[in-house]
Amino acid sequence: MRKIILITPLILLTVVCLFFLLFILFDKDPNEPPSALLNKNVPFFSSINLYNDKENILSDNLKGKYTLVNFFASWCTPCRAEHYLFFEIQKEIPELFILGFAHKDNPADSKKYLEIEGNPYSFVGIDQDGKIAFEFGVFGLPETFIINREGKIIFKHIGPLTKKIVEDEITTLF
Amino acid sequence: MISLIGFSSLCLSTLLSFIILIPNSVLQIKINYFLFLFRSSTFLICVSFASLLFAYISSDFSNFNVFQNSHSEKPLIYKITGAWGNHEGSILLWVCMISIYGFCYSIFSKSKDKFKIAVLKIQSALFIIFSLFIIFTSNPFLVNTVIVEEGLGLNPILQDPALAIHPPMLYLGYVGFSLVFSLAIASLLSKNSNQVWIMETRNWSIVSWSFLTAGIALGSYWAYYELGWGGWWFWDPVENISLMPWIAGLALVHSLIMIRGEESIEKWVVFLSILCFSLSILGTFLVRSGILTSVHSFASDASRGLFILLIFFITTGFGFLVFLIKSPSKKNDLNLLLINKTSALIINNVLMMIAVLTILLATIYPIIIEVLTNTRISVGGPYFNSTVLPILLPGFLLMSVAPVLSWRTNKIEKFRIYVIFFLILSIVISLQSYLTSFNTWGFIGLMLGTWIILGSLISIVLKYKFSPTTQYIKSINSFIAHIGVGIMIIGITFSSIYQKEYNFNIKVGEEVKLENHLLKFDNIKIFEEKNYQSLKAIFSLENKDKIITYIEPGKNFYPVPKMITTEAGIYHDWFKDIYITLGNENNNVWVIRVYINPLVSFIWIGVCIMIFSSIIAIIKK
Repeated sequence: MRKIILITPLILLTVVCLFFLLFILFDKDPNEPPSALLNKNVPFFSSINLYNDKENILSDNLKGKYTLVNFFASWCTPCRAEHYLFFEIQKEIPELFILGFAHKDNPADSKKYLEIEGNPYSFVGIDQDGKIAFEFGVFGLPETFIINREGKIIFKHIGPLTKKIVEDEITTLF
Repeated sequence: MISLIGFSSLCLSTLLSFIILIPNSVLQIKINYFLFLFRSSTFLICVSFASLLFAYISSDFSNFNVFQNSHSEKPLIYKITGAWGNHEGSILLWVCMISIYGFCYSIFSKSKDKFKIAVLKIQSALFIIFSLFIIFTSNPFLVNTVIVEEGLGLNPILQDPALAIHPPMLYLGYVGFSLVFSLAIASLLSKNSNQVWIMETRNWSIVSWSFLTAGIALGSYWAYYELGWGGWWFWDPVENISLMPWIAGLALVHSLIMIRGEESIEKWVVFLSILCFSLSILGTFLVRSGILTSVHSFASDASRGLFILLIFFITTGFGFLVFLIKSPSKKNDLNLLLINKTSALIINNVLMMIAVLTILLATIYPIIIEVLTNTRISVGGPYFNSTVLPILLPGFLLMSVAPVLSWRTNKIEKFRIYVIFFLILSIVISLQSYLTSFNTWGFIGLMLGTWIILGSLISIVLKYKFSPTTQYIKSINSFIAHIGVGIMIIGITFSSIYQKEYNFNIKVGEEVKLENHLLKFDNIKIFEEKNYQSLKAIFSLENKDKIITYIEPGKNFYPVPKMITTEAGIYHDWFKDIYITLGNENNNVWVIRVYINPLVSFIWIGVCIMIFSSIIAIIKK
């Protein structure tokens, strides 16, 4: 019994080292962010409309149509840079439901922002505490997802969209 | 030229260490010659490190390492610190310290010659392992193949006074445990059961632990004002791996006090000594192999990772193997049913070990999961807050009373006074929490912190008669350390639970209300510094129409690596910090984030008290 206790650290050490060894040999790159949500069902959320606090949107409402989900905020400068692209996407693919989430933002500031920059969104949801972004595994703003009719995430982009990404990767999905 | 001197002295020093390892039955030299050999090896490795320093100071870009990490425009102090601001240089510093610790041991030790030689031999073996690692995988003395006039610069985020001394401090802590490790292994191998090695282990582990404390505190102080995230501890993997040897070291220091009461603890002390150093190498391995990404991971390389993994496996495996074969067989005469100092310390030790295991599990869990299932997860703050903190809570509670307990008996002197004061304190704190905003964790933290301070103060007053001598300070030293912890707990509780965060969009000339202060955005200034440009937003903080202070958050632009760093502007006060970070600008509207962090200064004060008390502990009577 005493020996077993004394051997435990050695066994533990070997097991831990084995895992480290495997990890190094597999040559994982920790810098590459995971895309765990790709091809998975959209996470459950519920959010209030920015312009009408009685109107609510649930993740279940997205079934049966293609949806683009975009996380933005009035304090986020890169969001401004990609903002005009949503108007173009809207023109190109009119049946696409564009859902914007005002992330960790004061509703008044978000409204002002959309007043100045224009509002390309079909629905603007409030995500003031960042919980919805957390469910989506958002790294930083802006981030964009596309969800198909079955409610599966089929596209994900971290950082501002560019014209090239829209043309090469988004419009080709339809 | 200087690179050649550096590299050859590194090789020579390694060679000398090999000679030291030859068994004395073959070598047949006297102790004095042996010590001379060891000290020459130390001298040579210091020469090696000094030549790297010199290459940095003189901006000798013919050295590839200097070329990659330095720049002639850099201020002198950061040229010097550049020497350990990269992988190769920092490992050289690490190796240098292993040898210096051995050197100091050879001077201060009062052990018998045979034991001393055994310790120094193990220390040399460790030295050889790490210096081979340098020579084969991370040589800082490579010569640049092309002639260049200018270097590539140092990571600007590291150009900071607190960070300049943070790595050496941390390394002094980590590497100090190598000596503790050597002492433990030597005692196992030589079946040395006298008390000298225990005293020596005690002193050296306190030294290493204090350096580690200072290193971690400096690191988190740096993160507090440089990263601009508003906090000082983020449960970042790199922070966690420095916390593990710290907690294990804490357990070790406490067990070494206990050993004077109970001899059967010896085995446990030896185990902890091995564990502390193992955790130190584990930390180095995880950071240097690039398995964990953070601000600390320099260029990562699979072969380096494999090499350090091998070092980690061999050293730790050897330690535990010796422990398995030769563990001291003292009879267990502990009576844990008694409420005395020993049982309190044992409970504390158990709690600390559970905390170490919890952190270790969370640190390696993502790696195990990724290897097994190929999915990536990360374990963050919420896990640690909800597992590690509750584990440590009973330990903190014990801490306030443990020094009062007696060694052998069940009695607590003047028990009633403690109970009365505890009740009074509970009522006061409950009222305070009830009248202000109540928060469970806030209440627990405040209660614990104040009780530790009060309990320790009562004990000091009751047990010892005041006299202005070092003897008096030494006898109340454990209480002083615990008061430091109490102050730190209060600081941690308040700054994390009662932190307030505000976001503003603000133009020059506008003002916002901030609790009972008025924050006015005066103007924006741009300064040209020697190796960077800095942009500062100047805010004035007013209270009742009187300007208290100016707060100047800003951004620095470093042209050489083309990098921008955030500089938080902090207004320090004894009771709160007002912490401002500057965000983006659009049409002259700036985004600013303001944190009000109450009692942050208490954390740093607590740490200073803890370090002070460990200095007192090693001063001779």
